[in-house]
Parts: sequence; C-alpha cells; structure tokens
Amino acid sequence: MTGRQIAITLALVVAAVILQTTVFGDGRIQPFGSAPNIVTLVVIATVRYLDPEPGILIGFTAGLLLDLLGGSPLGLWAMSLTVVAFVTLRVRRRADEGWPIVAIGIFGLTLLGQVLFAVGGTLFGQRTLNNPSVVQTMILPSLYNTLLAALVLPGVTKLMGVGPVVRNWAK
Amino acid sequence: MQSFRRFDRSTTLFVGLLVVSFLLATFDVRSQGEGVGNVMRDGAQSLFSPLQDFAVAVTRPLVGFVDGVSNIAGLRDENERLQERVIELEALVGDAEQLERRVEELERSLGLDPPDDLAAVSARITALGNSAFDQVRFIDKGSEAGIVKGQAVIDENGLVGRIDFVSNDSARVRLITDPQSGVGVRDVATNETGWVEGQGLDFPQLKMFNAVEEVTAGDRLFTAGGRYPPGILVGTVRSTAESEAGFALITDVVPAIELSRLDYVKVIVGWSPLDADVDDTGTVTTTTEPPSGPAEVEGQ
Repeated sequence: MTGRQIAITLALVVAAVILQTTVFGDGRIQPFGSAPNIVTLVVIATVRYLDPEPGILIGFTAGLLLDLLGGSPLGLWAMSLTVVAFVTLRVRRRADEGWPIVAIGIFGLTLLGQVLFAVGGTLFGQRTLNNPSVVQTMILPSLYNTLLAALVLPGVTKLMGVGPVVRNWAK
Repeated sequence: MQSFRRFDRSTTLFVGLLVVSFLLATFDVRSQGEGVGNVMRDGAQSLFSPLQDFAVAVTRPLVGFVDGVSNIAGLRDENERLQERVIELEALVGDAEQLERRVEELERSLGLDPPDDLAAVSARITALGNSAFDQVRFIDKGSEAGIVKGQAVIDENGLVGRIDFVSNDSARVRLITDPQSGVGVRDVATNETGWVEGQGLDFPQLKMFNAVEEVTAGDRLFTAGGRYPPGILVGTVRSTAESEAGFALITDVVPAIELSRLDYVKVIVGWSPLDADVDDTGTVTTTTEPPSGPAEVEGQ
C-alpha cells in the first residue's frame, strides 16, 4: 500500500459522496425509487487494496462524510461503512475465486451496510424500519451496486496501480 | 505473530471507531442537531457546496435525459390513469361549482386563505438526501437570509416540508414524506382535522382520530396551523375512507408537490407557530411580521 493509493482512495470517496448527494440523491436518478449506493461500492472496491487500519479508517471517513452531508444523525453511516470496510478486509481473499463470488460479495456487503443503517437509524429514533418500502430501499441499491461493480471494480483496480485479480483457473 | 498483532490492532481500531460512531450518534440525537454536530455539518456544507453545485451543473443533462426516458416508459400507464381520471372528473363536473362555493365559504370561515401575504425567501435546491431513507433537501440560503429552524418551506404547488438544520449559507429541509414528519391538516370538504405522516417512498398517510364524516378521494388537505402556517395545500386524499368505531381513519394522501421536480422553493420566514392566535371558536389567525436581519424578503 502506498501514499498514492491512499490519496486516490480519498479522492474516489469524495467524488462518490458528491455523486451520491447530487446525481443519485433522493428524487433524482432513482430507478424504481432507489439509487445505487456509490459510496459503499467505492469503499468495498478500494479497501480491497489497502492495509487493514487505513481500510477501516476509509470506511469510517466515507460514512462520516455521508452523515455530514445527509439528513441522518452523525455516526450512523460512519458505523455502517466501518463495519462494511472491516468485513471487506476479512473476506477480500475470496475475490480471487471469480466473478460470481465477487458479485455475491458486493451484494451482501451493500445489503449489510443498508441493514445496519436502517437498524441503527431505528435505534436512534429515525423510524427507518417504519418505512413501508424498507425492503425495497435495502435490496435495490444492493442489486444496482452489483451491476455497477462490473464498471467500478476494474476502474479502481487500474487506478490503484495493481493488476487485475488473476483467477485460479487462469494461473 | 506479526499477522496476529496486525489483526489485533485493526480489530481494536474497528471497535474504537464503532464506539466513536455510537457516541457521535448519541450526542447528535441528544443535542437535536446542535452543538459540535452542527459545527461539523456547517463546515462540511460550506466545503462541499461548491463541489455539489458543480456536479449538479455538469450532470444536469444526464439527469434530464434519464428523467425523460423514464417518463416515456411510464407514458402508457400515465395515459390510462389520466383517461380514468377524465371519466371521474366528468362525473364530478356537475357538482364542481357548488363544491367550490362551499370550499370558499369554509376557507373564509376558518381563516384558511393561502398565505400569499407571508414574508418568504426564495431558495434553490442544491443537494439531496443521500439515500431513499433520507427524505431531505439542502437549499442555498441559511441564517444570513433570516432562515431559522422550524420554518415552513413551500413551492408553487404546496407544502414541501420544514427547516430542520441551518448554517450560515445553507439549510436542510425535512420533506413531508419523511417518516419523521407530521403535519396537522384540515379537510376543507368536511372540516375534519387530522394528521398527515410521511411514509418514505410510499404515499403519506392521513390519520383522523375523531372523524365523524368520511373523507373522499380528491378532498384537498390544508395545513391547520400549529407547526405550519394555516392554509397551505398539503395534498389530496388518494382513496375514500371512513372511520370505524374505536379505530382511527387512515388513508393515503397524494402530496401536492412533485418531489422529483423540486428545484426552487420558498421558506416562509414571516411566520412562526408563536404568531398563531387561536380564538374561542378555534379559528387560527396569523400575523405577518417581516424577519429581522438582512434577508432579501419577498411577499410583503
């Protein structure tokens, strides 16, 4: 891991937060009422290449930025994305096993972040689980992220200056 | 051994950051968005506003294109819906004039004239909530323009929401569709009062606890005073409903505003809940004092 990778990761996180709060924010591009969670996707994509401590800190920072620029209490997205970053670090070796595993991983990790945010929001009186469309609100961003991963993951891999993951069967 | 130590360090950091997040959320909720959280939000808003403006400007054509495509996809459904609506309206047209007179009479008797004379500040939407959980909008005017927490936000169609966070040059609007939002309303057709509660992505719900008459699809609901100035259109009743003994009347409401098309809004700065006087008959009247401060105020 290099300083360049950290700088690229921070730039990507800031860009993702700005996109999330403008283009993919509530009321703009939201097919079927939900948008991809770009910030979560960028955290998952970048943390794969970072050491554990910076990786966890990136998750926390991205979440805190979302909290600061959103309507939720401070700390909710920070907590969710810290967990997402931590779990990503624990399972990142499984990415070598091919695209189906990566797709399942992206879906599961995004869903984990959404569920943690919804549960945390409810614990802190935000009534997020009272939302009748809560399942749709959690599942759709996970699906969109899985689809977008096909574009974002190779791009991040290139930007981070590491080669594409070599599949076991191709070695 | 080294990897064990590393695992240990990262786990400790992870647990530490979870504790920090939990404490931040606790303090932020307890302080109701004031204090350190307010300062941090203020700083972040100031820092990111120019970048967000730039992103909105650059991506406007893309958003417009996607909007247009999704409109085409929904055109057929919309056409069928409109045809059904025309049939309904044709059936209603005979009673329309009579109903209109009745509404005007009720509005006069209740002091529910739309608040055209209230001082307001125009603002532009600069950013949105970051997920479907977040039914908020950010505007480009803040305390420097006389905006304070709690003020009502409207557009040309009706009630948008209310201000729930203010910095110097921006503010956050919590929309009426947010599950944390509640608006006291009056059905002008029946004079019954109730409560419209946000449901996130779903239609807001109207709840009436002591309704005697039924509410009919198409009934217009106006703010009844309290937290919001009276007489602002909130929405229309989506489906007819009546209360059953011992149960509240609950039905869906179609908001008057089009949330996906909000671009400019007005913040009513010339009214606060303290301005409302309720006389013995329950009629709400308002005063329209202009705000103090250097705000560029309209509507006076």
